[in-house]
Amino acid sequence: MMAKFEMKEIKTFDYERPTIQKGYANQTLYVNLSESEVSIKPVTEQMKEVFVGGKGFDLWLLWNAVKDTTKWDDPENAICIASGPLGGTPVYPGSGKSIVTSISPTTGSVMDSNVGGYFGPYLKFSGFDAMEVRGKSSQEVVILVDGVDQKIKIFEVSGLEDNAYDTSSALTERLGQGKPRSISVVSTGSGAKNTLIGCLNFTWYDAGRKRARYKQAGRGGIGTVFADKGIKAIVARWNTVSMDTNGPVDKETLKTGGKKYSSEIRELDPKQNEMARVGTTHLVPIMNDHDCLPVHNFQYGQHRGANNIGKDAYRHIFDPGFDGCWMGCTVACSHGVKDFVPLTGPFQGKKVFVDGPEYETIAGCGSNIGIFDPYTIAEINFYCDAYGLDTISVGTSIAFVMECFERGLINLTHTGGMEFSFGNRTSALELVHQMARGEGFGKIVGQGIRKMKAIFAEEYGADAAFMQDIGMEAKGLEFSEYMTKESLAQQGGYGLALKGPQHDEAWLIFLDMVHNFMPTFEHKAEALHWFPSFRTWFGLCGLCKLPWNDIVPEDNKDTMEPAKVIKHIEWYAEYFTAVTGRQVMPEDLITMSESVYNFQRIFNLKMGFGRREHDNIPYRSMGPVTVEEYESRADRYDKQLTEKHGIDIGSKKTEEKVVILRKFREEQYEQLKDAVYKRRGWTNDGVPTAETAKRLGVDFPEVLDLLKAHGGQ
Amino acid sequence: MIRVGDKEIPWREGMTVADLIRELNDPYPYAVVRINSKTVSSPHFEETLIPNNSVIFLIPMIAGG
Repeated sequence: MMAKFEMKEIKTFDYERPTIQKGYANQTLYVNLSESEVSIKPVTEQMKEVFVGGKGFDLWLLWNAVKDTTKWDDPENAICIASGPLGGTPVYPGSGKSIVTSISPTTGSVMDSNVGGYFGPYLKFSGFDAMEVRGKSSQEVVILVDGVDQKIKIFEVSGLEDNAYDTSSALTERLGQGKPRSISVVSTGSGAKNTLIGCLNFTWYDAGRKRARYKQAGRGGIGTVFADKGIKAIVARWNTVSMDTNGPVDKETLKTGGKKYSSEIRELDPKQNEMARVGTTHLVPIMNDHDCLPVHNFQYGQHRGANNIGKDAYRHIFDPGFDGCWMGCTVACSHGVKDFVPLTGPFQGKKVFVDGPEYETIAGCGSNIGIFDPYTIAEINFYCDAYGLDTISVGTSIAFVMECFERGLINLTHTGGMEFSFGNRTSALELVHQMARGEGFGKIVGQGIRKMKAIFAEEYGADAAFMQDIGMEAKGLEFSEYMTKESLAQQGGYGLALKGPQHDEAWLIFLDMVHNFMPTFEHKAEALHWFPSFRTWFGLCGLCKLPWNDIVPEDNKDTMEPAKVIKHIEWYAEYFTAVTGRQVMPEDLITMSESVYNFQRIFNLKMGFGRREHDNIPYRSMGPVTVEEYESRADRYDKQLTEKHGIDIGSKKTEEKVVILRKFREEQYEQLKDAVYKRRGWTNDGVPTAETAKRLGVDFPEVLDLLKAHGGQ
Repeated sequence: MIRVGDKEIPWREGMTVADLIRELNDPYPYAVVRINSKTVSSPHFEETLIPNNSVIFLIPMIAGG
């Protein structure tokens, strides 16, 4: 049970809630915690035209908040949260996403993370297309955006537990006034305070199970920024939601489109990936079969234990029932484990509800660290969420630690006596608890891989060059959970991603490696232009991308470009027009996204990143670093050396072949960069040209100055 | 007899997933199929036998993630 907690109101700001028109509230909320200042800023027509909403608005607010010298823990750093013009439409599948941006503690540059739950839509319906929070509070505070009573309140709080699990429930109960579904809570936990890889939990109320559930904005440590600002939680309160709430221009088209899409998912999902029953766990055996499941710090792509942690296991472990993180979403993939009893930590022996695990958590906190037990993965998942830790960064970081330990780069002296062989469930769990407490070896691991590499080299004398090859981070962000050695396009999907190696920009493994749909550099470059652009569009609008291509129409395979699922893109264009009144064709969606995409690249430049050298990736993601990795796929690599590169390998030892293959693969990656930069309209140093900025309408004076300074003109 | 989508297809002893896909003469490059609730990926198409009375789903998984 939650202990009694106190909330002392220190600021109240009354406002008049605008009617939502065509998907927009036409204003944003500004909160500065240093001065307890609250104000409202208008949304201009230019903002809507160029940035659309969602991530676009977030980036524009953040751009104006920070200087090129701003660090993640400076008061001027902002946390921006937005929905998007289509966000909050009930019935239309996947329409409840929020996007969060900030300057990241691990990358030092712009981070974005998307998340389900009700917060973004409730924020908008309360009158704000986005909110930005700046400054810092010396006392822990809760910010309440109360769209029902038309007040913004700031409370000093004491007595709330330091975990998101209890905080979410307690605030839902306290502020819901008997209507818990009217509340969405954003919160984090002690892990976010004591590491650099903190996540945010966004709630939605599960009326069937009568509890607050949550999804995570995990990547890049935004939870850590949140905790550093002294924010305990941000809460949105809103009434009932109907299709009219979002003020669509053409309700009939919207209603018809939403029903059509929902019906299709209801019919086809059971025949395809069964996401409404097993979530994304179906990916585990499939990735394993195709040699893409990360195993033992991305050394290998398969493991005989994988079926123990895939859909066949979780089908029986997940609690059956409706699991949509947005109202009426028929994908409904947010499954969880009821009455789970952790074996360790502060909830040891108590029944809890675990939200998850999803594929990324299973692969990161399971196969990649050698754990093939679905219950241990559930326990790590539970604690990461409750502590406010990103399961992807936690998993990839522990995988790095385990490989360093097994190879003798670190030892028991450094780990506080903990053994870290792959598969050590006890140590993995203890490390998560240490991260949350900011103690022992966990304090070091919680800094993320980039900082661990420096500490291990400088303080423990570990081999820096080898750690550079096996430490799976780029731009300071830990890789998400796909093995990319055999897919050059997906290496680009990770390495050329704006925020760091997260698969949300491009997931091209199957198209490239399995189907061989993109045999040339130009094909790959086209895909690395088109897919990041279209995937960005979902984040501008407040949408989830899963309905687009994880459930596909039966006649899609007969279309010219089945990978694009054109029929759904046409539906999205209709959806956008029906809400906003802006007449758009499918190709216009790409142009909208391209503007924001290039602006984010330029934002990286502002922060001192965003050039060719920053798109480098560790060699482990490109090919075999070690002899044993090479030999695990020797037939494949030998064949490539002889047939593709014309090398006589007759008398060569594996060590030599590793070196030769590496040279070819690194050259290939550089050639890929050349092709992608050209296709995107960037210089050979990866800088958008002034012409590109002008074509996309982001040629603001400050932007042009930046581009000029970096050879973009 | 087995069912693939709306079609009923005669079953024979020793029939594999690869045999089925060849017989369907469908040029789409399927990477995954489901036999009842069991998922089978393309590296195992040649060796995976289809039991009689199975319901087969051809899964057009192409760009998830």
